[in-house]
Amino acid sequence: MVNFIFEARDVAKSYGVVHALKGVSIGIGEGEVHAIIGENGAGKSTLMGIFCGRLRPTSGTLHRNGDPISFNVPLDAQKAGISIAPQEINLVPDLTVFENVMLGAHETAGILIDWKKTRATAIRHLLEIDETISPSAKVSTLSKAQQQLVQIARAAATSARILILDEPTAALTSRETDKLFAYIKGFKSTGGSVFYISHRLNEILLLSDRISVLRDGTYVGELDPKTTTKDEMVRKMAGRIVGRGNPAPHTGLENREVVLKVERLTRYGEFANVSFELHKGEILGVSGLVGAGRTEMAKCIFGLTRPDAGNVELFGKKLDNRTPFGCIEQGLVYLPEERKQEGIFPLLSIAENMSMPTLGRFTGPLHMRTSEMMREVDGFVKRLGIKIGSPKDLITSLSGGNQQKVIIGRWLMQNSRVLILDEPTRGIDVAAKFEIQNELRRFTDNEGLSIIFISSELEEVLDVSDRILVMHEGQVKGIPSAKAATQESLLQLAMS
Amino acid sequence: MTQDTAITAGSAQQKKRTTLLAKFWQWEASGILVALIALMIVLSFMTDNFLSTYNMSVVARQAAFVGLVALGQTLVLLVGGIDLSVGAAAGLSAIVGSLMLTMFGVNPYLVLPLTMLFGMCLGFVNGFFIAGLRLNPFIVTLATWEIFAGITMVITKGYPIRPLGETFGYFGKGEILSVPIPVLIFLVSGIFLIWLLTQTKFGRNIFAVGGNRDAAVLVGIRAKVVEFAVFGLAGIFAALAGILFASRMDAGQPSVGEGWLMGAITAAILGGTSLRGGQGSIIGTMLGAMLLTVLANGTVLLNVSGFWQRVIVGCVVLIAVLVDLLRRRN
Repeated sequence: MVNFIFEARDVAKSYGVVHALKGVSIGIGEGEVHAIIGENGAGKSTLMGIFCGRLRPTSGTLHRNGDPISFNVPLDAQKAGISIAPQEINLVPDLTVFENVMLGAHETAGILIDWKKTRATAIRHLLEIDETISPSAKVSTLSKAQQQLVQIARAAATSARILILDEPTAALTSRETDKLFAYIKGFKSTGGSVFYISHRLNEILLLSDRISVLRDGTYVGELDPKTTTKDEMVRKMAGRIVGRGNPAPHTGLENREVVLKVERLTRYGEFANVSFELHKGEILGVSGLVGAGRTEMAKCIFGLTRPDAGNVELFGKKLDNRTPFGCIEQGLVYLPEERKQEGIFPLLSIAENMSMPTLGRFTGPLHMRTSEMMREVDGFVKRLGIKIGSPKDLITSLSGGNQQKVIIGRWLMQNSRVLILDEPTRGIDVAAKFEIQNELRRFTDNEGLSIIFISSELEEVLDVSDRILVMHEGQVKGIPSAKAATQESLLQLAMS
Repeated sequence: MTQDTAITAGSAQQKKRTTLLAKFWQWEASGILVALIALMIVLSFMTDNFLSTYNMSVVARQAAFVGLVALGQTLVLLVGGIDLSVGAAAGLSAIVGSLMLTMFGVNPYLVLPLTMLFGMCLGFVNGFFIAGLRLNPFIVTLATWEIFAGITMVITKGYPIRPLGETFGYFGKGEILSVPIPVLIFLVSGIFLIWLLTQTKFGRNIFAVGGNRDAAVLVGIRAKVVEFAVFGLAGIFAALAGILFASRMDAGQPSVGEGWLMGAITAAILGGTSLRGGQGSIIGTMLGAMLLTVLANGTVLLNVSGFWQRVIVGCVVLIAVLVDLLRRRN
């Protein structure tokens, strides 16, 4: 039995009739990395919200070194040495890096801020994590990965003894991930403790001393990272056996009709000379580190940005002066990386979210043929296995995975022929991820859809794609067939 | 057995009743409807003449003018913008419409549509900068507010343009089945917009752009076109209010729209329209305009000083926001 320095006993949290947490007891020892895993909606974020003082438990108690303690505001938790680096970027974009690190924790001299000292402290914390970020740069000029690291530095700068890291590696490249792990190990050796939340099971096996599994707001058990396997973790999280599916890559699709042809597409400073062909029924994975220019390329193909050179042909027709509107009319669609910011309409219903681009089809001379629309929405809800109450509910009532399925359904409903999917399974639990992957394969096989599948996860790209476009720093490094490729070969290709 | 069925039937009925009530309570405009009815009941007991036909028609007519401006404002708020120039646009349009009559001898029946067309152009000026150049709507319309109001003063030098003639006066003063024509126009406009917002693609696109502009562009909605059109519509409704008021007063008053801007925004907010876009309803705005006018009328009938009226309106807005907050927490 570990001696807990911080502990939750029987903590529950309800929102009206919704029970996000149903009596969870969990603790952490000194110098321990405690991983918490669970599907989306299992209650991980709620639990961490309670730990960092952002939420107040409906019942149950918190204990620090055995003494009961309660947090009214996050500052209380910080005073108790608990700090969180949340999943979403939570920085002031127009302030400098060092000021963001020290926000609310400025070093003072009397009533004035001691800028020199503040800066020095910030730099010290920053250096421990990543020495390449300039402390005087504005946060808005940093990449997403760098912002994530700044956020972790900020949590550390509150002289925390317990760090909560919520999906810290979601936007990180492998180089940065390595740095973060080194940092965590260093923090551990000084007696610091870490609650580590991630969907990346490999990381958890590598990093953690203990794994707790949550499901539907309850504690389902503990796993020992030394003996457990990924399959066991998935099984525990899902509470059922998850069909891996593992759709086999197809070969020989090169002889089929070319649906999308990109030639020497270039945007200075983002990507250069990108050329590839996408065939009917093919899934072309796009792999590369964050900053490789994959999203930028996708947005340019879709007409959100203007290329400096090169052209795009869809079904043999040149698409000059592209706009999203025009591309969608031609059957080419883009599903953005940032579901919350660019994907969903948070104030609208599930049905409306799915049918928004298709509304024209249901508009009569005098009224919207709503029932017809609902029937079609229902059809796709069933086909994609989306778990919903009523299609009239707000989309925000759904879990991330189901929201993503609604957005995919949006484009299937539109009869799109070419889908560009940008990180479609990021932040989605394993079961929903496999379901989406399998569903996409079914649509390419049975209905001749073609898909460009952008993902940072090598394993996923290898599983899903027929061929893989490897990008690095704006350049295409190669397009190997998935059958012949391995994670190592992809990395090697990217670095070559 | 029969008893059992009776009990289940009873509880089912009760459940149905509670869900109906819950549904009503969830409706954005429910609070304002309750407040309006309550206020009217109180006023009808406290004053002798609140419910008189004459007073009712005065209230309705006043509500119609500010309400028309508020309808346009609601569209702008829904799409995620704000239009500070509506009052000034109403004033300038009224003056231009009056000049059409007095200086150019335009047929009185043509003046109405022509003025609306002019108002649309004023709205398009806003649209050009906001939708076209992606400038901040608050700043752009703050500037055009000054410009429109300034042009009005340049043209009129502060003097009203009058008389506008008996024929033209019909639009502002006339009645059909003892309902004042401005009120009819207000109601028809409201119904038209409800239809537009719920039954057309354009209407749903307004909600999409206001709720999440980035996502709207990515699903192929031409957000700029939607925003441009909405500002044009706001101009049309402002001009309509302005010219109807001129017809009613038999004069193009340079000061016509001065009080309408805040009235329009207040009516929309009272009706549950969000300042962040994507949320709100026409019915709410119409009720909001009614509530504001009834409040003003009530203070007059109760011999409360006109200065207090503003204090009361301010308090009502705060209460409305608080009620909305409580409802959301539930």
